[in-house]
Amino acid sequence: MDELYLDNIDEFVNDHDKIVTYKWLSLTLGVHVNTAKQMLYHYLDHKRKESSAQLHATYLVSGKFEDNGQTVRHTINRQDVFRHMFDFRYFNFMLLMFLLLMLLQGHKVSVVKEDQLEDFKSKMSLVVSVHVYSVQKALLKDSGPLYSVDYDAVKDNLKNCTKYSAIRCAGAVPMSSLELQQARQIHQVPAPEPEHKKPAMNGEANASKPSTKPQKGIMGMFANKAAPKNQDNVKDIKTEQKADAPVAEAPKSKPAAKANPMMNFFGTQTASECCQQSEQSQYRRACHKSKRVVDSDSEEEKMEKKKRRRIKKPEPDSSDEDVIPDSPQQMKTREPSPSPEKEVEPVSHSPQGNSQKTRKRRRVLKARTFVDDEGCIVTEKCYESESYSETEDDVQATKQASKDPVPAKRPASHKPDEKKSQKKTSANANKGSKQASIMGFFQKK
Amino acid sequence: MTTLTRQDLNFGQVVADILCEFLEVAIHLILYVREVYPSGIFQKRKKYSVPVQMSCHPELNQYIQDTLHCVKPLIEKNDAEKVVVVIMDKEHHPVERFVFEISQPTLLSISSDTLLSHVEQLLRAFILKISVCDAVLNSNPPGCSFTVLVHTRDAATRNMEKVQVIKDFPWIVADEQEVHMQEPRLIPLKTMTSDIVKMQLYVEERAHKT
Repeated sequence: MDELYLDNIDEFVNDHDKIVTYKWLSLTLGVHVNTAKQMLYHYLDHKRKESSAQLHATYLVSGKFEDNGQTVRHTINRQDVFRHMFDFRYFNFMLLMFLLLMLLQGHKVSVVKEDQLEDFKSKMSLVVSVHVYSVQKALLKDSGPLYSVDYDAVKDNLKNCTKYSAIRCAGAVPMSSLELQQARQIHQVPAPEPEHKKPAMNGEANASKPSTKPQKGIMGMFANKAAPKNQDNVKDIKTEQKADAPVAEAPKSKPAAKANPMMNFFGTQTASECCQQSEQSQYRRACHKSKRVVDSDSEEEKMEKKKRRRIKKPEPDSSDEDVIPDSPQQMKTREPSPSPEKEVEPVSHSPQGNSQKTRKRRRVLKARTFVDDEGCIVTEKCYESESYSETEDDVQATKQASKDPVPAKRPASHKPDEKKSQKKTSANANKGSKQASIMGFFQKK
Repeated sequence: MTTLTRQDLNFGQVVADILCEFLEVAIHLILYVREVYPSGIFQKRKKYSVPVQMSCHPELNQYIQDTLHCVKPLIEKNDAEKVVVVIMDKEHHPVERFVFEISQPTLLSISSDTLLSHVEQLLRAFILKISVCDAVLNSNPPGCSFTVLVHTRDAATRNMEKVQVIKDFPWIVADEQEVHMQEPRLIPLKTMTSDIVKMQLYVEERAHKT
């Protein structure tokens, strides 16, 4: 073999201060990876013999790891083993356990520094392969730069990065342009989905990493500050959530991420799908909750307003007696102020059915009038809870119709409204117990 | 290929953004590699598609961000000549100076698409070089601190003193003893030339550090 490669590597390492990984070397010199590994080994050997400038090396070690097997063995109870040894039904079970043990020993592939090499090898039950991963002058504190070196080398040689590789698959043949087009058409439809899920996926990985890291020592001091930040990340990256949701989210993302640690790397869609769906359902639930809270608040406000109104209202309305706050099961029609009590009366008397002997709280449809921002008088009918009993004069009618916040205001002034209202009251009275719909309002003009 | 002047497209802002992002990453990495702060506060993050070390200490991060926020307007107007990260020993004598010399061409000719990916590749090379710089540098004494100095062209600093870019974060003219180093050795690290910016990184190291 040419001895020139030794000079080449020497130039890279000493003069250019590069980190020479075997992959980078194989791509740069155009040799097979195994040749590159041997080159690096010889170079290192050579330099060590010369005992010249200090060189550091990292090694790739792969093999079966012993420690996992030991811990698994300890979990099997000794008594159980003896009890079941003579029972043939459990013979298969024991066989399975034994095989599982063998598998659970775990195949590990690691890049280790030279000074940790012997230590690491001793922990392994079977060493499958050891070779030089890189040679450099600097003592590396972490493995980041190793990745950077390979990143650029591979990127520059994207089309032929496997040219010198030892990994081969007979079935891996580049597709023809026709096949490529077909594949692209198929993938166009599900394309938007994975993109949408990617942020959630990355968010999962990012959120799980800091939370699963043991918060010891110095990092523990920042834990309090880091924790809300992590939760913020989770909030930002995922869809907008209500305040009560994210606290439940962070622990949720943890088990989802922990359950399959490999999934974090390869990021299958199923994991992120589940999490997304759970987010959305939580979001909906949260929406629902808060909506109800808001509604009940507004109800109470309106209740107070209505009470105040009751004092004022009877004065302009001479024909009104005690204001009966009950109103029929009514939905969407809006009436101006003087009318509601009148119209309410005739209708409410008809369905009297729900009187009960005991005093209870019920949700009742009530009409409330108030002056809104623009000076228009608005009537809103909505449900309020009220206690009642059979003996009371107030007859309450209840229906299962849903709540109605009547939104729009009438831009017109109330004078023409009053005229109209009189017409409407008669119209409504005619209807009697029939449920007036919003269209009825337009028809009776 | 189009020829643009500095005023077009707010180009100065784009360049300043890129450079400030890079400087932030570089400062964190320098602090990690030169062991100015214990490695426990650093966490692996990703930038320019490679792993880098970034500190988690909130006040340190805020300090670095505020510093670069004030430097940004100078870079936009091409007033910043050098940005220097000085590592000082306990007596506040500089031990190492990481000098980023920046220059921007006045007339820019840009090719549209590959511009930024090429720049990213060049910046990645800078990051890699900083990671291995302790091969050529002697180790620092314990208890070091750091500061950031900016050398500006002409009289740009007068504006900085008048207008506080960030409240309660004043910039002052550096002392002589922080700027000048005894017996400096120059170690060049990396140079990059691109359409939008030229940058050079070298280290000045004091011969006797203890």
